[in-house]
Amino acid sequence: MGKYQLGEFEEIVMLTVAILHGEAYGIAIINEMESRLNRSVSIGSLQTVLRRLESKGYLDSKLGESTKVRGGKRKRFFSVTAQGKKAMSESKEQRMGLWNAIPSDFVLNDN
Amino acid sequence: MKSNHHSPPSILLKFFRWFCDPNLVEDIEGDMVERFEKRIENKGHKKARRLFVRDVFQLLRPGIIKSFSGHQKLNQIDMLKHNLLISFRSFMRYKSAFLINLIGLSSGLACTLFIYLWVQDERGIDKFHTNDANLYQVITHHEESGAIRTQDDTQGILAEALEKEVPEIEMALQSTPAFWFGDMPLTIGDKTIKAPGKFVDKRYFEMFTFPLIDGTAESVLASKESIVLSESLAKSLFNTTEGLIGKTLHWQLLNMERTYQIGGVFEDVPANSTETFDFVMSYEVFSDIVGDGMQWGNYNALTYVTLKPNVDVDHLNEKLAPFVKNKVSWSNVTPSLRPYSDKYLYSKYENGVQAGGRIEYVKLFSIISIIILIIACINFMNLSTAKASRKAKEVGVKKAIGAQRKTLIFQYMEESFLMTFVAIVLAIGLVLLFLPQFNDLTNKQISLVFDTNLVKALGAVLVITGFIAGSYPALYLSGLNSITALKGKMKSSIAELWARKGLVVFQFTISIILIVSVLIVHKQIDFVQNKNLGYEKENLVLFANEGKVATNHDAFIDRVKALPGVVNASSTAHTIINGGSTTTGLTWEGQNPEIETSFGNISVFHDFIETLGVEVIAGRSFSNELVSDSSKLILNEKAIEVIGMTDPVGKMVNLWGQDMQIIGVVKDFHFQSLHETVTPMFFKLDPSFLTNIVVRIEAGQERTVVDRIESVYKEYNPDFDFNFTFLDQDYAQQYASERRISTLSRCFGGIAIIISCLGLFGLAAFTAERKSKEIGVRKALGASSVSIVRLLSNEFNKMVGLAVLIALPLSYYLISGWLEGFAYQIDLKVWYFLGAGAAALFIAWLTVGLQTFKAAKINPSQSLRSE
Repeated sequence: MGKYQLGEFEEIVMLTVAILHGEAYGIAIINEMESRLNRSVSIGSLQTVLRRLESKGYLDSKLGESTKVRGGKRKRFFSVTAQGKKAMSESKEQRMGLWNAIPSDFVLNDN
Repeated sequence: MKSNHHSPPSILLKFFRWFCDPNLVEDIEGDMVERFEKRIENKGHKKARRLFVRDVFQLLRPGIIKSFSGHQKLNQIDMLKHNLLISFRSFMRYKSAFLINLIGLSSGLACTLFIYLWVQDERGIDKFHTNDANLYQVITHHEESGAIRTQDDTQGILAEALEKEVPEIEMALQSTPAFWFGDMPLTIGDKTIKAPGKFVDKRYFEMFTFPLIDGTAESVLASKESIVLSESLAKSLFNTTEGLIGKTLHWQLLNMERTYQIGGVFEDVPANSTETFDFVMSYEVFSDIVGDGMQWGNYNALTYVTLKPNVDVDHLNEKLAPFVKNKVSWSNVTPSLRPYSDKYLYSKYENGVQAGGRIEYVKLFSIISIIILIIACINFMNLSTAKASRKAKEVGVKKAIGAQRKTLIFQYMEESFLMTFVAIVLAIGLVLLFLPQFNDLTNKQISLVFDTNLVKALGAVLVITGFIAGSYPALYLSGLNSITALKGKMKSSIAELWARKGLVVFQFTISIILIVSVLIVHKQIDFVQNKNLGYEKENLVLFANEGKVATNHDAFIDRVKALPGVVNASSTAHTIINGGSTTTGLTWEGQNPEIETSFGNISVFHDFIETLGVEVIAGRSFSNELVSDSSKLILNEKAIEVIGMTDPVGKMVNLWGQDMQIIGVVKDFHFQSLHETVTPMFFKLDPSFLTNIVVRIEAGQERTVVDRIESVYKEYNPDFDFNFTFLDQDYAQQYASERRISTLSRCFGGIAIIISCLGLFGLAAFTAERKSKEIGVRKALGASSVSIVRLLSNEFNKMVGLAVLIALPLSYYLISGWLEGFAYQIDLKVWYFLGAGAAALFIAWLTVGLQTFKAAKINPSQSLRSE
């Protein structure tokens, strides 16, 4: 009980942050998601989810160095916390459990 | 400016920084800029900028927008509450100042609101026609004796020619004004009702929006035998408005009568229409009556046109200018189009050029309303700054614990807005309360409807008044130095004193100008109404020559003359006060053919000149015995002067191609509005067309003599009501609109003065209170009450005195401009101005004196004890 269930978008964001490992900041995450999943993501929706995940303790963030590009503004890099990792693997296990429970005569790619 | 394409729109960035949570702002902004830069490369500037806009708005979501529940916001709401509380307490504590402000502001606002309603109503007159934007009236400019006279009357045949020959004109039609015929009797069975009516073109209801209850616009006047009634007339004749089409009724005018069929019923003409009438008949009937009088030299209709869309009126006017001259080479007439709805406000023409009209009153009152509002605002400013010493401690404490100037300004603004709001609510109450009286006064049917316009206007007034009234106190009080404020060493700076005095002087200057104007407007209107007209306007009874009276006219006049109490009786085709027909058909030997002169043409019966009491200065009047007098004329002095005759009696002139002999000359008398000077005219003996019977009766027994006339009248016309008027009352009616303006300006002027005095009263009370210690010491040392009153009122005398000095020349300048609009003006006497100045001084003394006297009476021990 009291366990936090990751939402679909949240899970994707967590996964992308993990993929980018160490290089995960706003635009990088959006670019990664857009190229891999072929869906458009707005800054607004991403940022809301990132902050929510951070406040749950699944993500951690720190500001990077300032650069000349992007109007001199610093990037905020996100990383997955231990608690986040646990949530991710839990979520993955749940999915796998469900996948495994599918009967063997169920054909996924029926042409 | 340097191209800024490579950076995102700065206004949006600012907006984002404003709403975004400060913890998030930096990196999100960076993200956005990075994305923007990348998009410029991939998709170009335009698209990048557009997408940036989308990004910003997509960030407007909870979690990113900064929190509402932070300390900052709570604090502001608390401050708002706190300020309200302080305002409320200060209202309660200084009740007199609060009441002075409230009464001043709310009565000022009520005046403004009344004037707003009045102005809206004035501007809405005649605007209700669906065609309004394209609807024009043809007016005619007449070149006469080197000047241009403008009139509404046009040739009866103009409309048809215009519609046929001018492609820009969609429809042109003619009608007669209803006032030409007075009330005409309509009979159904044994019921006769008199009502105003007119002859109109059969497409009248297609051009003008007078909705029909029964019948269609195309068909109601299709037949020459058709008459269309107003709803109320139909009801009083038939007690219904339904199923009347096809019913017949009997119509009479002078000795003419007809049987009409009802073609339809229209809704009563609304109050905001300048043309009022209860029934209309086909203009063809009128054409038949006029017969061969339908020519280019005769003015027997009003002409209206609608233009096709997108026609440039100025251009069309240029094109129309020679229209009549092309028809008849001798014409001196230039037709011109005037928007139909301008008729009411822009009716005055000078030398062929639009020269205002009623719009001047509309402007005048708009200015007065603003002035009244400013005077009320000044009260508020003066009293608030004067009482600054009371608030100084509060300001000192607030500043000492770190209040910013901004906060204090906000606080005083809030107070002034609160005050204005309360005043507006009160003003609306006042308006609702006094609206019936206001409607009586202005002869209107205005109601207070809270439509968007009114709400917008009220909102604007709230903001402007609140801001003006609050600005000075807010800036002044918030600028106090906290240390001196806390020490209580409140010394008014010179500048501040000057500002306050200046405002009082300004207030009184305006008040005095208003007093002078009101006084002179009143005098002028009085003068006009009591002017010697060249005849005796008292004890003259007028009534219409109609029915059997008209057919037995001569016998009726003889019967009336024989009645005891009747001095004399006659009849005329003239209205005596409204003016009547004019003609350019009078010519004489040696006349300059280039200059056309129009003469007033008054057809009269025997004894008319005697009945009216016009003085014959040469020759004789028309005689009862001489039949040949129908080929004789009597001219006025002005006409003789224009013709340039010496010893005119017995000489010949030519009228409409017929030689006429001048048998007499009368002294000039007023047969038109007093806005115009006396013009040339002639009397002509013409028993065939006499519309009004005039009876002079003996003074003192009006009632019984009128009863006697009525009983004779009833013998001839048993079915008719005997509707008579006294000429002097009609005359007063003529100037009703001026009188209303005069009464209105008196009311508003009075209110302005009262508001000014309220302010002075407040200031005097305050000064007396502040100086209470000084007064105490002086009294203890033996000063008399009188010397103390003098001490206190000295300052105010100087201010009001200065105001008098400024106001008098200004008011002289303004009022002489107004008087120029009248042909006959009063002389501006010095005492009008001195009297107004003295009145202002007197009122100011009274106001200040009451306060100072009270202060001087206080026992010094009381004022000195309190510390």
